[in-house]
Amino acid sequence: MSAAALKVVVGEKRLRVSIHGEDPEAVAQLRRLVEEAGHEVVDAPEAGFAAAPEAEPRALLTPRELEVLGAIGEGLTNKAIARRLEISLHTVKFHVESLFRKLGARTRTEALAKAAERRVDV
Amino acid sequence: MPINLLEQFSDAMAARAAAVQGAVAAIRLPEERYLSATLWAPDAAVASEQSLPRGDEFELVVADGTVVKAKLAGRDPGTNIAALRLERPVDLPSLENAEPKAGALALAFGADGAGGVRARLGIVNIAGPQWTSRHGGRIDRYIVLDLSLARAEEGGPVLDARGACLGISTFGPRGRVLVIPAATVERVLPALLKDGSIARGWLGVALHPVAVPDALQAQAGQQAGAMVMSLAADGPAAKAGIIVGDILVTVNGAPARSLRRIAAELAPDRIGRTVELRLIRGGALLSLQATIEARLA
Repeated sequence: MSAAALKVVVGEKRLRVSIHGEDPEAVAQLRRLVEEAGHEVVDAPEAGFAAAPEAEPRALLTPRELEVLGAIGEGLTNKAIARRLEISLHTVKFHVESLFRKLGARTRTEALAKAAERRVDV
Repeated sequence: MPINLLEQFSDAMAARAAAVQGAVAAIRLPEERYLSATLWAPDAAVASEQSLPRGDEFELVVADGTVVKAKLAGRDPGTNIAALRLERPVDLPSLENAEPKAGALALAFGADGAGGVRARLGIVNIAGPQWTSRHGGRIDRYIVLDLSLARAEEGGPVLDARGACLGISTFGPRGRVLVIPAATVERVLPALLKDGSIARGWLGVALHPVAVPDALQAQAGQQAGAMVMSLAADGPAAKAGIIVGDILVTVNGAPARSLRRIAAELAPDRIGRTVELRLIRGGALLSLQATIEARLA
């Protein structure tokens, strides 16, 4: 579907859309499409005024896991992450599983949202 | 005739809603949407900073249904408070400040967009101590409500059973309803009206907590640090030579794993001072000096 086609479907009315999904690549694509069609993508309701995160030792990510998380955020597949970090697909899967466990997430999107809650700008 | 307690309770709550109406305003947003605001002084209103769109001028629908123009006086993401200055003063009820108690009734009010109020009833779920927000602001009490709120109702006043004001409502993560305490509003509002922002020390880094690699834990003296995820161009950290991927261990001796500790190092009186940043880069510890700047509003 193109942005033009999306315009035909919803008309000229400007919408505020929040996108949720399991596949970050699909979410990123849909986001671009929705924005090109002139609508506003708003943050998922997971956002909100929150406390400064306190690190729980067992749930701390390792530097490598953070790298993998960054690649997930860019919408890369496990295969692409393996190529980027020059590690095996098996190792990527191992890191992703560890990430999910530590963040208490079931999907890649959820992992990104939970990780964003830990991040601070100072 | 027997006394109808339920009716009395109901009438008392409806009376509360009528009494607080003068303190509630609707901030008009594009496409017939609006956001609630609480009038804190005859010529000043506060709203939830995170939900107020960018802009310098807003229109407020006040209790009698008339529209009052208001200018943005300032916003503070740290405490999630935005201050608006009204072009003409309005009448408002005087509200005392309330202390939150877990289990006590809480009434949350929002604007209906036409001068009236919308009401919500719940209880105080958590009445916790002071906390530090993700943006480094100090909030006097951690107040969570057990009630649901519509998006447009955010920013309205929350009262206790006595009719005293706990603060203004806002959304926390996953739609939780929090209260920005009245004490925090009273501390921050005068500065926002005067200066437009709250001065706060700034390093210009986005941090994510991270485990210190096993081999370096003894040397670092810590198991956790904060990885630099991004840098503000020309920010204090960038000028000090920090790069993305560095793991901060301490900021002026305060462990970087605790934002509360870092926030204390970035208090307004630290602006212009030099701090020592200890960090791990490429498997080794090193130390850099950064000069704290004022956070850009």
